[in-house]
Amino acid sequence: MPPELAALHSFLAIGAVLFGVGLIGFLSRRNMIVMFLSVEMMLQGVSLSLVAWGRYHNDLGGQMLVVFIIAVAACEAAIALALVLMLFERKNHLDIAMWQELRESNQPLFEEEPLPPQSDEEPAHWPHLTPAGVLPESVAEKESFRRKV
Amino acid sequence: MISPQVILALGTALAAVGIWWLLPGSSMQKRTLGGVLALVGLACFGSQVPAVGDWFTKGMFHAIAGATIVAAVATISFRSPVYCAIWFGMTLTGTAGLFLLAGAEFLAVATLVVYAGAILVTFLFVLMLSQPEGHTSYDRRSWEPMISAFTGAILVGILTTMIGSAVTKAEAAQAANSAAAVTSTADGSAPAAATSAPYTISRLGAELFTRYLVAVEAAGALLFAALVGAAVIVTQGRAAMKRPGITPEGGTAHAS
Repeated sequence: MPPELAALHSFLAIGAVLFGVGLIGFLSRRNMIVMFLSVEMMLQGVSLSLVAWGRYHNDLGGQMLVVFIIAVAACEAAIALALVLMLFERKNHLDIAMWQELRESNQPLFEEEPLPPQSDEEPAHWPHLTPAGVLPESVAEKESFRRKV
Repeated sequence: MISPQVILALGTALAAVGIWWLLPGSSMQKRTLGGVLALVGLACFGSQVPAVGDWFTKGMFHAIAGATIVAAVATISFRSPVYCAIWFGMTLTGTAGLFLLAGAEFLAVATLVVYAGAILVTFLFVLMLSQPEGHTSYDRRSWEPMISAFTGAILVGILTTMIGSAVTKAEAAQAANSAAAVTSTADGSAPAAATSAPYTISRLGAELFTRYLVAVEAAGALLFAALVGAAVIVTQGRAAMKRPGITPEGGTAHAS
């Protein structure tokens, strides 16, 4: 196989795999931020294919398109993260299932499956440092600002 | 000798089952088994992907490509979103390495600086602002893991099979072309990649600010509009929440 065809083949295959993995993540994850990461991963797959095609045709157009993809991805990240923050403030959850009232009127309500059991090797509560020094006095106003975590 | 299509189909099926079991919602044993299956499927794919150059270039290519895809699968299968974001950073680093191998040096650096340096850090900021402690209930479950894993895997299987057959066809056409015109230097289908000068950043920059100047201006306008839009979404959204009628719901977001 000629080397340039082989290089095109391998880069296109990796781009396809990245796109597919991102698609699986977008379809199956429920955390809005992880869904968004998956979309970015799909963009990476497309960028890789574009660079491979540009190299095969010895044309800078492919790389140029990827430069603009990066610019558009920066815009998209700014807007989408602002939206995610606002959606989070409305419902106090990053769960996309909280917004199922936006579904079509003829679609059934999503029913929660039972939670899988928490496995033993991971702690339900993460370890805390032992407190040291004097506890600062709490101000009621400041406490009300603090989000429950 | 097994035909490449059979190996690709086998790899697709193994990777689909592996990712299905790796996605959040399965037990630990199933996740481990899924990881092994996904690795075997990836190896099936890797055996079918040709690489060029001497053994060092080949090994480099396979190592970077494998790391990229393993990190991508880890991104969608870890339950803690912070780990997902950090694995996504690994994916980005691998993609930058692949860009470097493909001769796109500027894009490799831009991916690291803009994606891993700026966008990913913004993600981590938003996670710190909004993520409750531990694994939340929605991070421990996923929507229809089987259907989505098989959808993605079948898409990848079809794409790679088609790429393989198209490349074989192009190879045959190229061979016929060069056999027909052995003495002729003008070869229509063969790219001139081997003969022309390699890409340099200065060539890319010259092209960017001459032929694509309007597009650069448009991208600048788009970035400005996105900046204003993000600010408006946050300020107007907060103002709308203060109005009566809209109350934050949900209460505590604890791991249950």
